[in-house]
Amino acid sequence: MSQHPRLKALRQPKLVVVRTDEQGDPVHVRIPGKTARRVAVIRERWQIDDEWWRQAISREYRTIVLDDGRVLTLYHDLIDGLWYVQKG
Amino acid sequence: MSRPQSIVQRVPTPQSGRGWALDSAASQDWLTASAPDSGWTNGPGAGSALLPASQRTSAGSRQALCLWLPTFELRLELVRTPELDSASVALLSPGESTRRTVWQVSERAYEAGVRPGQLVSQAVSLCTALTLLEPDPAHYDAAVETMLEVLTEITPVIEPAGRGRVFLGMDGLERLFGSPPRLIDRALRSLFRVFPSPLVAATRAGMAPGKFGAWVAAASVRSGQPVIVPEERLSVFFAQCPVGTLPVDPLVVHRLERLGIATLGDLRRFPEPSLVSQFGEDGKNALAWATASRIDSVRPWHRPRPVRVSLEFPNPVGMTETLHVALDRLAERALARPTRRGRSVTGVRMGARLEGGGSWFVETVLREATSNRERIAAPLRAKMAISPPPRAVEALLLELTSFGVASTQTSLFDRKVGSSRSNEGNDFSKDEVTVKLKDAIKELKLRLGHSPLYRVVEIDPWSRIPERRHALMSFDP
Repeated sequence: MSQHPRLKALRQPKLVVVRTDEQGDPVHVRIPGKTARRVAVIRERWQIDDEWWRQAISREYRTIVLDDGRVLTLYHDLIDGLWYVQKG
Repeated sequence: MSRPQSIVQRVPTPQSGRGWALDSAASQDWLTASAPDSGWTNGPGAGSALLPASQRTSAGSRQALCLWLPTFELRLELVRTPELDSASVALLSPGESTRRTVWQVSERAYEAGVRPGQLVSQAVSLCTALTLLEPDPAHYDAAVETMLEVLTEITPVIEPAGRGRVFLGMDGLERLFGSPPRLIDRALRSLFRVFPSPLVAATRAGMAPGKFGAWVAAASVRSGQPVIVPEERLSVFFAQCPVGTLPVDPLVVHRLERLGIATLGDLRRFPEPSLVSQFGEDGKNALAWATASRIDSVRPWHRPRPVRVSLEFPNPVGMTETLHVALDRLAERALARPTRRGRSVTGVRMGARLEGGGSWFVETVLREATSNRERIAAPLRAKMAISPPPRAVEALLLELTSFGVASTQTSLFDRKVGSSRSNEGNDFSKDEVTVKLKDAIKELKLRLGHSPLYRVVEIDPWSRIPERRHALMSFDP
């Protein structure tokens, strides 16, 4: 058995399936294993561009409210083009 | 032994006593009579009620009244079955074992040579007409509860010491009820409300500063002749008392007697260093009791109201498996009671009403406070396996008798120094990890092979990228 302390990252992003409108904003979100929900409102948006000196990170974040009232933080990874959900 | 009658004040009693059960034996020699069931030196409740005053925290009542009803359980049985009043009766000791012993004996049985502690076979051979009674702890406990309720109306400072013996704090009651003799009279009269007159008449009462003094006073006189020992005469009163009254290790008493130290007066002649060198802490304590320099106050007895649930069977049940299932259901119901919520359980008692009369009880103190059904039921099942109900069960009862904190979970991560908020972000040093948490981790590692616990560590708390801010690191102190 290894005696080294094990590390687990917190707030790891999870892949989600998102349908977007013509402006690129999410309209429907489906978290794997759950039913797709309609996006009721987009509350906030911001962009992160960082770590360009090693593996560049470029994300477009949005805080959305689903039609069942849940609040999610999603981001669109501008490098791989996929959508992720992440706990704030 | 000469009685310390000259130094005590006698009190008129409501009714003269009847000499029955072990009463006559007790009046011959109050020390030996008190030994089998009084709980003073080696019986139930010996330690709980008579801790040295230094070990207590609050003040309590200095003036104590001891009410003592010797062979309480047997007397209750004889009240329940009056036709046995003039018969040779012995009450069997509680518990189920192959070698049952006699617990308490009536006067007639005593005259025939039957003694507490004898094997049933010995007792029956000595007295062929002996009637043996199974103990009924539920009945006895109910009687004690009723007695305590009635006495609470006189004083809130009540401290029971086993069944049939209770200490009442008398401080400050004179203005309510009058002089000490009136107080004793009132206490005894109140017992008429719950006990028949023969039982009240057999009650011994002694009033003195401290429980030790009150107990010795109550045990030294016949029933129906209460005594009051004033503080200034307490030392003289103790001088006559045998060393067997001391609430110390029986081996110390035995050694004192073998050394020819028969009374507390004899003991007082020795300097403290000599007694300490011979008997250690017990020697020091014995001298403190004997010289009346230690007065143990009566402490108000606090017992949380137990959570009780019961289950009546349509037909008497003898199968252990059925009783186990019933126990599980009862544990679930007891834990779900609103009065239990917010508290974990530390003590539990299971009882049964038996077919054909009588009751059966087992009691256990849990290894750790819990709110888990299985952890409550398992030790009771083990106890039931050792001491099963002697007959089929008509009704099963479960009582949660003592309680702990809401949950042990919240306290696992309490740090010894400072609050968790003030230490936020700091590492747990080895000294800060609680023993409870260490034990829990050890147990988990035994089960799983590794510690499944993690602690949150800061990586880059101000990072714009959320997953870079904190991480979980395995926690294995």
